[in-house]
Amino acid sequence: MTLELARLTKAYGEFTFGPVELTVEDEVLAVLGPSGSGKTTLLSLVAGIAEPDSGSILLDERELVGLPLEDRRVGMVFQEGALFPHMTARENVEYAAASDERVAELASVLELDGVLDRRPATLSGGERQRVALARTLAADPDVLLLDEPLSSLDAPIRKRLRDELHGLFTSLDIPVLYVTHDQRTATALGDRIAIVRDGDVEQVGSPSAVLDRPASRFVARFTGTENLFEGTVTERNGDGVWVAVGDVEFRTAVSGVPESIIQGSNVTVCIHPSRVELEPADTSVDGGAGQANAVTGTVAHWLNEGNEYRIDVDIEGGALTLTANVRRPTFERLAVEVGSEVSALVPPESVHLIPEPGSR
Amino acid sequence: MATGSNQSRRSAHTRWYQSVDWLSVALVLGGLLLVYYFAPLLSLFLSASPGEVLGRLADPAVRSAATTSLLSASITTVLATVLGLPLAYWLARAETPWKNAVLAVVVLPLVLPPTVGGVVLLTVFGPNTLLGGTAAAAGVPLTRSLAGVVLAQTFVASPFVVVTAKAAFESVDRTLEHASRSLGKSRWTTARNVTLPLAGPGILAGVTLAFARAMGEFGATMMMAYYPRTMPIEIWMSFQSLGLDHAYPVAILLVVISVAALIVLNTVASNPWR
Repeated sequence: MTLELARLTKAYGEFTFGPVELTVEDEVLAVLGPSGSGKTTLLSLVAGIAEPDSGSILLDERELVGLPLEDRRVGMVFQEGALFPHMTARENVEYAAASDERVAELASVLELDGVLDRRPATLSGGERQRVALARTLAADPDVLLLDEPLSSLDAPIRKRLRDELHGLFTSLDIPVLYVTHDQRTATALGDRIAIVRDGDVEQVGSPSAVLDRPASRFVARFTGTENLFEGTVTERNGDGVWVAVGDVEFRTAVSGVPESIIQGSNVTVCIHPSRVELEPADTSVDGGAGQANAVTGTVAHWLNEGNEYRIDVDIEGGALTLTANVRRPTFERLAVEVGSEVSALVPPESVHLIPEPGSR
Repeated sequence: MATGSNQSRRSAHTRWYQSVDWLSVALVLGGLLLVYYFAPLLSLFLSASPGEVLGRLADPAVRSAATTSLLSASITTVLATVLGLPLAYWLARAETPWKNAVLAVVVLPLVLPPTVGGVVLLTVFGPNTLLGGTAAAAGVPLTRSLAGVVLAQTFVASPFVVVTAKAAFESVDRTLEHASRSLGKSRWTTARNVTLPLAGPGILAGVTLAFARAMGEFGATMMMAYYPRTMPIEIWMSFQSLGLDHAYPVAILLVVISVAALIVLNTVASNPWR
């Protein structure tokens, strides 16, 4: 199946969605964006809850625009599950299923056997979402849409369901659009990620491409890159591109830097915190050709974020503050304290340049 | 100093306010109102012995009035439900600026004095009007007939179905309807399996209220169809020609029916005022 959105637009008062161009094959496309960015509008248009002002939605050459919801074969899992409260979990799934065998099969895949005879009101959030997913799959949809199904769940359940869903989605072999505002869910579940902002798709790509090479400051910030600096390109040649941020100079690998970025260009330098390596200050670091960028600084602030530590390092007397995410062993080896001296190493391939100087 | 004396006066007030037990005052005021509701009802039941009530039930005029009332109110309720539910659903779901204008039209019979309602209806259905005259000539008189009673009751009682069912439909999350249809179910299947069951108790409340209102309808019915007599008109007639004592038994019957409607509201239906 191929889902193709072409020049799709929809206006709601002040808010304009699109024009959006998007092709989804038999894969999971995670649609990531802040609330109000148009994620739910996108799903509503594909599902048929809302009709677009213009554009087309093709599902294997079949035009969906103009078709009523019930004729689209587009399944949707709603944010809170939207289970029918007057039916038991089993009746909810049966409502959509063609046979009892299908109900039993889905119940076993989604581990629902213990809860089938209960009403939605007595189910936990995670159970509700699993029943909702079973009900949607029972109708054998050609496209699966999910609207933040995990957002209301507690972290451990969310993580567990996320792991389970990944395998399930892959086995479906249909286009899956998974809307979320949570970057971790998007990267964990998405074969590709689409970043949505103000009704437009800002960037589409594999999770690593979007995370490592954000196309804009917005994408960078939304995917967790806190290190965004305004810089000026000082040199570009076959060995790399050099960019000055204040008195600090970074080198980046030339591959992947757009042609438009030349000497004198004002750019945004973007370094993902997980790419910054910290070493004790007395380690001798070689910043020569082919080596990592090395700068020294003092720890301004650190925070235990659970899985990792976030450390802000004031570089070269506070000209810029570089944020690094390190795991606990590194944190303990460095004996990090506010005021302690450290060296920060940034590999050239982890320095990404965005041809967008202004702060947006 | 002026401020000082103000303060001391205020604190004196405070002491006066504080000395009053407001909870007791509230209980007395509320209790008074409850007594005012209940005492006349009790007194009504004490005014006629069960024997008398049963005796009056044997009276053909009373039996005919009870039959007319129950029959007309039942037809009215069915009519109001069949005609009212689609309108209520439309009012609950439509997103057009016309909606409020339509709702105002629906509520109009509720705020119109019933006798005025009767006058309004007579200008359309009266024997000297085109519609009324044609119908009468065809053997279906729209006044002084059961049809007239039903027309009067429907005018006054059907808004209860529309307004209450509208609220019931609005309480059903639209997402549930979208979910049902995205599972491949038609609008009709969705309405039957999702919307109607969920709105059911609210709709039943509207239907019950409409029935109770139809049973008690007097003003518009008096204008449209003085005959065949319904129970409220029979009460009026008995009171006028024979005195209050003769009105009691039929009144007691009507009270019993009203209380039954209240019981329905508080058990199977979702009481809109609770």
